[in-house]
Amino acid sequence: MTLAEGKIGNTYQVLKTEVEENTERRLEALGLTEGTKVLVLNRKGSGTMIFNVRGTRLAVGPQIAQGISVKEAAAHE
Amino acid sequence: MSEVVQRTADISGEGADSIKKDVINVGFVGNPNCGKTTLFNAYTGARLKVANWPGVTVEKKEGAMRFHNHNYKLVDLPGIYSLTCYSMEEILSRQYILSDDVDVIVDVADASNLERNLYLTLQLIELGKPVVLALNMMDIVTERGMEIDTHRLPEMLGIPVVPVSARKKTGLEILMHAVAHHVGKGVDEIQHHHYNSVPSAHRHDHHKEFAMVYSDEIEDKIDAVKERLKDKYPKMTNHRWHAIKYLEHDKDIMEKYPIEYKDILDKNYEKEIINEKYDFIEEIIEEVLVNKDSKAAMTDKMDRVLTHPVWGVPIFLGIMAIVFLLTFTLGDAIAGGFEVLLDYFSRGVSFLLDQVNASPVLTSLIVDGIIAGVGGILTFLPNIFILFLALAFLEDSGYMSRVAYVMDGLMGKMGLSGRAFIPMLLGFGCTVPAVMSARTLEDMHDRRRTILVTPFMSCSAKVPIYVLFSKMFFPQCPTLVALSMYVIGLVVGIVIALILGKTDKKNSRNCLLIELPEYKTPNAYTIAIYVWEKVKDYLQKAGTTIFIASIVLWGVLNFGPSGMVSDMSESFAAYIGHIIAPLLAPAGLGYWQIAVALISGVAAKEVVVSSCSVLFGIANINSVTGMSALSAALGSMGFGSLNAFVMMVFCLLYIPCAATLATVKKETGSWKGFWFTAAFHLVVAWVIAVAIYQIGCLFMI
Repeated sequence: MTLAEGKIGNTYQVLKTEVEENTERRLEALGLTEGTKVLVLNRKGSGTMIFNVRGTRLAVGPQIAQGISVKEAAAHE
Repeated sequence: MSEVVQRTADISGEGADSIKKDVINVGFVGNPNCGKTTLFNAYTGARLKVANWPGVTVEKKEGAMRFHNHNYKLVDLPGIYSLTCYSMEEILSRQYILSDDVDVIVDVADASNLERNLYLTLQLIELGKPVVLALNMMDIVTERGMEIDTHRLPEMLGIPVVPVSARKKTGLEILMHAVAHHVGKGVDEIQHHHYNSVPSAHRHDHHKEFAMVYSDEIEDKIDAVKERLKDKYPKMTNHRWHAIKYLEHDKDIMEKYPIEYKDILDKNYEKEIINEKYDFIEEIIEEVLVNKDSKAAMTDKMDRVLTHPVWGVPIFLGIMAIVFLLTFTLGDAIAGGFEVLLDYFSRGVSFLLDQVNASPVLTSLIVDGIIAGVGGILTFLPNIFILFLALAFLEDSGYMSRVAYVMDGLMGKMGLSGRAFIPMLLGFGCTVPAVMSARTLEDMHDRRRTILVTPFMSCSAKVPIYVLFSKMFFPQCPTLVALSMYVIGLVVGIVIALILGKTDKKNSRNCLLIELPEYKTPNAYTIAIYVWEKVKDYLQKAGTTIFIASIVLWGVLNFGPSGMVSDMSESFAAYIGHIIAPLLAPAGLGYWQIAVALISGVAAKEVVVSSCSVLFGIANINSVTGMSALSAALGSMGFGSLNAFVMMVFCLLYIPCAATLATVKKETGSWKGFWFTAAFHLVVAWVIAVAIYQIGCLFMI
């Protein structure tokens, strides 16, 4: 599934990022690497969403959210 | 000799005392929102010098201070997340750090968000210059019940770590002390255990000299590339860092220092390198951070309301309504006060000049030219001051990034970023502060497009024009006609934004990606310095242009071939008006008086109305008698309601006032922006005016 389909309050683990190269680098610099866990904090219907990765709160648009494949995971600690 | 010893021998010294440095150059680096600016301000106060890095519009802040017999030059580098070559800020920062202009780097990290901040720290350490880690926001760490092991952290990183709180002003002197003692130093002793990783079989034991050591496979490749670089560029500082950049296929470095690498590097190792860095960071956090489960409850609670899928937008609009009201009602009230004072001042000066029998030219120059010009600059000041106070408050609290999220959907449909909403909204009050507020847009292309489109939002200065012409020519529905101007402006703005967005090939803003920092109480000192900077900026840069423009316009409107004229129809402006009039004819505006009024409108839009009254010889133009006199005069020239409508549209869309142009020039950093904006708006206005008039004429026949 993609992060865009994520539900508020759930934690997911990143499997793969398929976004534009520049964006991928920025996401990685912000800590979104393969295997990282993210917690969905808020979202709009369109796929624009806010999530927490490594303590950082990120807001992303639908293209990015749709490009991140994830699987469900248990919450962090 | 092992590398470690060699290196420390090269950069000998016990710190600044033995290195006879006159000035210690310190660079402040850190993530956005880590409190770097607050920290920097705490040291430099308002004694900052803000300039641009050469050739770009990225800001460079410099300050100086003295502490314990040392002089420091402090430079605040832009907030960055990493040191890749993907953005101007990053390239500038790393070039600056590598240059001789920097002795020590202060890496400012948000201690309450350590995990992500350490990524930049590791990169900075790899650069090889002395780094001191300032753990900022330690007060928040304590508040949340977290603890950071400040003994183990420096041991794992090999650099000094100083806890500080810029807000509470603690640790500041200790930090500078650490900086002074770290000048010229290499790496401190590193001790880490690497419980989780595979034991290294590598021939070099890098762990003693480098905090960040990669897997064997990568270290081998780094070594191989390093040798090539050493052969070809022996004088290079820090071959290892450059080698790592090669593994990451860093275009900037690969272009500057080309070598044969394809046989060593079969692919781009950037992903692996980033992942391994984060693996190490996880190790560090595990060892060093106690009670990681911080209670970030407050921010999340507020976000649930402020970024609510349904209520987010209305709440934002409500907040902007308050900002708007404050800026334009309070601001205008104060400006009104300024105008009254200015009036007294101007009359006083006029009187004095009269007493000394000064020549009428001089009097006019001083009173109508200079004082009016300066007055023009000052009238915007209250609006700008209040606006930036409000914006700084919202920005410092952390709310502004939420705006980008909340408005993203709506603005995205127009091809603009969510944050572009603010300048466009403000443009309905006054374009000058609106253009200045476009600074909050990070993407240059977004910013330029927004700045170009904002003047189409009908500002308050144009209102007198609508009032006059709608009342004269549309007596049954003046409000409706005036309102239609706002709508037309909005529509034209949106359409142009869309078109520009489609044609802008390098549209890098394809998707929202922004950090939402924790909410915090805005810091009065930070806000004060920020507002002061903006005001000073405006006065120095926009002010001078407005001043010059006012003088030029004064000259053109008051002088003719026969010298100074009291009758505007003899002035140079009138001559120019006669020349321009035929060009305006297809739009139904081919009258020299109209042309002159429009030219005067370039000084300020309000002036169009007063020019009309002067040009047509009508006193009290807003009275019933005045208006009927004017419409009679116009009517006798063949100027009817269609012409009036086109006139209003033209005023709405054409060249923005001199103050706006000056601000555009300042914000885009070049005269090109100035001329392009003027020309663009003129062309758009002309095309649309002609279209409306010609089509209108067809209907009338």
